[in-house]
Amino acid sequence: MINIRKVDKWFGDHQVLKEVSLDVDKGEVVVIIGPSGSGKSTLLRTINGLENIQAGEIVVDNINVHQCEQNCLAARQKTGMVFQQFNLFAHKNVLENITMGPIHVQKKTRTEAEKIARSLLQKVGLPEKEAAYPSRLSGGQQQRVAIARSLAMMPQVMLFDEPTSALDPELIQEVLEVMKNLASEGMTMVVVTHELGFAREVADRIVFIDDGQITENACTEDFFLKPNNERTRQFLSRIL
Amino acid sequence: MYKLDFTVLIEFLPAIMDGLRMTMAISALAIIGGTICGVTGALARTSQSRFLRLLSGCYVEWIRNTPLLIQIMFIYFGLGAFLNFPPVLASVVALSFFSGAYITEIIRAGIQAVAKGQREAALSIGMTQRQTLWLVIMPQAIKKILPPLAGQFISLIKDSSLVSTIAVAELSYVGKNIVTTTFRAFEMWLAIALFYFILSFTLSMAVRRLERRLAESD
Repeated sequence: MINIRKVDKWFGDHQVLKEVSLDVDKGEVVVIIGPSGSGKSTLLRTINGLENIQAGEIVVDNINVHQCEQNCLAARQKTGMVFQQFNLFAHKNVLENITMGPIHVQKKTRTEAEKIARSLLQKVGLPEKEAAYPSRLSGGQQQRVAIARSLAMMPQVMLFDEPTSALDPELIQEVLEVMKNLASEGMTMVVVTHELGFAREVADRIVFIDDGQITENACTEDFFLKPNNERTRQFLSRIL
Repeated sequence: MYKLDFTVLIEFLPAIMDGLRMTMAISALAIIGGTICGVTGALARTSQSRFLRLLSGCYVEWIRNTPLLIQIMFIYFGLGAFLNFPPVLASVVALSFFSGAYITEIIRAGIQAVAKGQREAALSIGMTQRQTLWLVIMPQAIKKILPPLAGQFISLIKDSSLVSTIAVAELSYVGKNIVTTTFRAFEMWLAIALFYFILSFTLSMAVRRLERRLAESD
């Protein structure tokens, strides 16, 4: 579903990604962890072209994302993205936030889009909030709406960029719950997170990034029980 | 001793009204023209192209650092040496370019004040750059733009009095003519000032109502 081949990415003269390669199969849940500044969010953002790359290639569902503008737009329709800061459209209410993509990008009718939106609001547990503006919602509620907004585009892959890092501790669970349900329905997911409990429970595979390189790429059990890499062991011992 | 006599206002009311209508027409056209210049300027100023950014920057700096009176003179007499401009058209063009430079900066600031994440979220659901700008960024920028924009429009109405120097029969020009024939300077200029006040104040009230309506999603 996602094939990342030898990707290099520079910010000025600082190299953030160094020959990164990673494959994600259909239906797989891959969690990316690593110290801050290691390049994990940047890697996620290159998958839907929010960041460009200087070398290598990224293929999402047979589309070479960075080849041209059209490919990039097409890839974005196949990938949903959930941000740390939610980024709900502040001038639109909950229902409009979710219907915007289907109406303007997929050219669905308003009725059709609203039907999809309402069923997704049901799914993320917020059917009563459809007329509320984002500023009236808690962080957890905003993030659940943001997930619904992404799902409304019927993506093949969901990318999560530290979806719970900006949330108060008591609101984290409600968002993780939605993500767990999504994983159990077979959604392909790439998740950058610090929630190791979630990773352990939901991930099929865990990727450890350090200083722009993937230093560990193992199935979840192996990752926690017998990490190969010294750096991974250090990281785990510090936070577990 | 000067004795106040406001009957002159009644006598010349039709002429004053003609002047008022001319001021309103010039201001309205220049508000439209200035907004077009401003939106174009702001899009150029925030575009990917270095050339467009530079061009827009030059426009803004040139206009902001020269007097409006000189710009009006330059367009009417200067360009008038090559093209035959009627004074009303020259006025509208000069005022549009003038206010457009300030509006460029107001809109640019508004666009850049919209959180970066809004743009990324729009792109991530597959919107094109254009859809992102007009469906997500601009509607949010408007709220931040509106108060300084209203201030700019009000300045424009007041600045339009400067086109009396090229004999456009707007409010100030009419006032000056009446004063020269009647010598009722105090009454006339007070009345003219009052008309400008009514125009500007009405506009700022209208904008305040609009702001309240747009604040719905805050």
